[in-house]
Amino acid sequence: MATSPISDKVRTSGWEFVTKTVDKRALMKAQPKDPREELAELEAKGEVKVIHITEENRPIEVETLLGRTKRIPTNKLWHHKSCGQCGNIPGYPTSIMWFMNKLGLEYLDETHQTSCTAWNYHGSGTSNLVALASVAVRNWHRAYETGYYPLIHCGTSFGNYKEMRNLLIEHKDLRDEVRRIMNKVGRELVIPEEIVHYSEWLHVLRDKIAALKVHDVSHIVTTVHPACHVWKLVPEDVIYDPNIYGGERPAPTTAILLALGAQVADYSTWYDCCGFGFRHILTEREFSRSFSLERKIKVMVEEAHSDVAITQDTGCTTTLDKNQWIGKAHGYNYELPVMADVQFAALAAGADPYKVVQIQWHTSGWEKLLDKMGIDWRTSKAQYEAYLEELKAGREPEQLYVPPLESLNLH
Amino acid sequence: MSEEAVMPHLRLDPDDVGDQDAESLLQAIKSDLRYEEVIHGCLNCGVCSGSCPSHRFFDYSPRIVVQTVLSGDAQAVKDMMDEYIWACAQCYTCAMRCPFHNSPGGLVMIMREVAVWRGMEAVHRLLKPYGRVLLKVLSIGNQLTPDMIQPDFFPDWGPKIPWSSTDLAIKRKAIPVYTLQVTTSAWRVSPETSYELYTIYEETGVFRLIEQIDPNLYEVVSDMVEDLRDMVESTR
Repeated sequence: MATSPISDKVRTSGWEFVTKTVDKRALMKAQPKDPREELAELEAKGEVKVIHITEENRPIEVETLLGRTKRIPTNKLWHHKSCGQCGNIPGYPTSIMWFMNKLGLEYLDETHQTSCTAWNYHGSGTSNLVALASVAVRNWHRAYETGYYPLIHCGTSFGNYKEMRNLLIEHKDLRDEVRRIMNKVGRELVIPEEIVHYSEWLHVLRDKIAALKVHDVSHIVTTVHPACHVWKLVPEDVIYDPNIYGGERPAPTTAILLALGAQVADYSTWYDCCGFGFRHILTEREFSRSFSLERKIKVMVEEAHSDVAITQDTGCTTTLDKNQWIGKAHGYNYELPVMADVQFAALAAGADPYKVVQIQWHTSGWEKLLDKMGIDWRTSKAQYEAYLEELKAGREPEQLYVPPLESLNLH
Repeated sequence: MSEEAVMPHLRLDPDDVGDQDAESLLQAIKSDLRYEEVIHGCLNCGVCSGSCPSHRFFDYSPRIVVQTVLSGDAQAVKDMMDEYIWACAQCYTCAMRCPFHNSPGGLVMIMREVAVWRGMEAVHRLLKPYGRVLLKVLSIGNQLTPDMIQPDFFPDWGPKIPWSSTDLAIKRKAIPVYTLQVTTSAWRVSPETSYELYTIYEETGVFRLIEQIDPNLYEVVSDMVEDLRDMVESTR
C-alpha cells in the first residue's frame, strides 16, 4: 500500500482496525451490484432517462470504496442548494460559488428547486418513500431540462439521493409510481449517472484550489468531522484514496486540507456522528449538546490540539458550532471554530471573511484562528458594517452571481 | 386526493390512520418495500449498539430493535414504536458496521413512518416541536429558513444568536448571491416549484397525513396552497 507524508501525520486508532476488519472486508467479499450498470440496462430498455456526465462537464475520475471508478463533473453544474446551509450557514454556498468564479467554471443557481425534504423525514417520519423519490426526481429533472448537472450541497440530500437512486433502479413499482406523479407535474423520470456531493467536486479540484492559496496554513491544526450521511449512507459510493489514511477512511475534505498545506490531526472519535440526530437538535437538545461536546469538541481539542474543526455537511456544522457556548455551564470552556472545508479553503485563498465566507454567522470564536492565519478580519468587519449601512440606505447589493432571468419565474 | 390505488409496499394507506392493532403495525413494517433491503438476518453480535451514539446517552439499542422485530412479538414492537425508536440519531453508523449489512437505522425509519401514519399516541407529542419545520417544508419545500433562528428558540446557542435575527433582511441582502437574499425561505423558491411540490404531496398522501395528525397546521397550509395555486394558474 502506498505511503505518503499524509499517512505519517495520522495516528492509527482502534477504529481503523474496526473499519478495516469489519466493514471493508465484508463489503469486498460480497460486493453489492453496481447500480450504474443496472441504470444503463434500464436506459437501454427505454425504462428511464439518464442524466449523463458529458465532456462539457469536464469530469475527473476517482476511486470509491470498492475500487470502482466514479466520474466527478467539475463544470456546468446545477446547484442543488441546502436549506440548512443557505438558511443558517450562508458562507457555505457562497464559498462554493466564489471558487467556481475564480476557476472560471459555468454553473446555474436558480429558484426552481426544493430541498430534498429528508431532514424532516429522518427527524419526524412525516413523509414516505414515494414522496421522497418524487421530490428527488423533480429536482433531478429540473437540472436535466436546463442542461446542467446536479451538484448536491447537503450531505443528507446526497445520502438520500443515493438511496433514492438505488431504490428507483431496483424497484419497478416505485419507478412506475414516481413516473405517474412526474407526468402530473409535466416532468419525466430521470436519474443522474452519478450522485455528486460538493465535497467530491472540491476534492477533485483540490490542487487547482490550493494553487489559489494566499495565506500560509501549515501551522494550523485541523480536525475533520466526516459527515454520516455522506459516507455511511450507501458507503460504496464514497471516494477513498490509498494516499489518504491508507485508503481506510473517506478521502474528501482531508485531502483538500492537506493540499492546502494544513495539518490534519487524528482523534479517536472521528467515526462518531456530531450529535445532530435530526430530531434531537430540536427535541432532544441535551443529547445534541452532550454528544457534540463530549464525543467531538472535547476530543478534538484535548487529544488533537485542534485549531479548527472542519466539516463537510450542514447539520454537523451547526451542531458542532452552536453547542459549545452552553457547555460553559459544565466547565467545558472550549472555543473551537467550526466551518466547512470549502469555507476554510476560501479563507486560505483570500476570500473576504465577512462578505464571502460569511464567518459572522458562526457562533464559536473564530477570531483567534483568523489571526493565526494572518487574515485581517477587523478591516473586513469594518467594511462589512459600512456595507450594511449602505444597503440600509438603498444601495443595490453586490452579487457573486445573478441567475439568468428566464430561470427565475418569480411572478 | 389522487384516486389511484395505494400500493401498500410503497407507502401506507391513509385509510389505515388510527389502526393501532399490533399485528397490523408489524405487518405494515414488514411489507414495506425497504424491509428486505435493511434486514438480512441478525447475529445478535451487538456491533451496531457498540458504536451507536444514542446508546451512550439513552436507554436505546439498535440490536434490540432488530431482534424484537425479528422475534415477531408484535406487541413488543408496538411498545417500541411509541417512544423507544425515537431515540435513534439516524446516523447510520450501525448500518456501516453491521457484518450482515443490516441497517437498523433504516428499520427505525420504517417504524417511525408507520407510527406517524397510524397516529400513535406519542407521535403527537413528539411532533409538536416540528410545527415550524413542517409548515416550511409543506409550503415551500424548505426545512430551515433564516427567520427560524430566533434567540427565544435557541437560548442555549449563546449570546451571538440575537445578532443573527437583528436586521435580518439587510444581513441577508449582504449575502452576495441573489437567490439567498430572502428571510422567510432558505432561497427564493419559484411559485411554479411550490405548485409542483403540492401535487407531489397530494399524490403521495402527505397532505392527507398532515390533515389527520395536525388539523390546525393542515388548515394553514391548505390556505397557502389554495392561494398559490390560484396565483400560478392565473398567470398561465
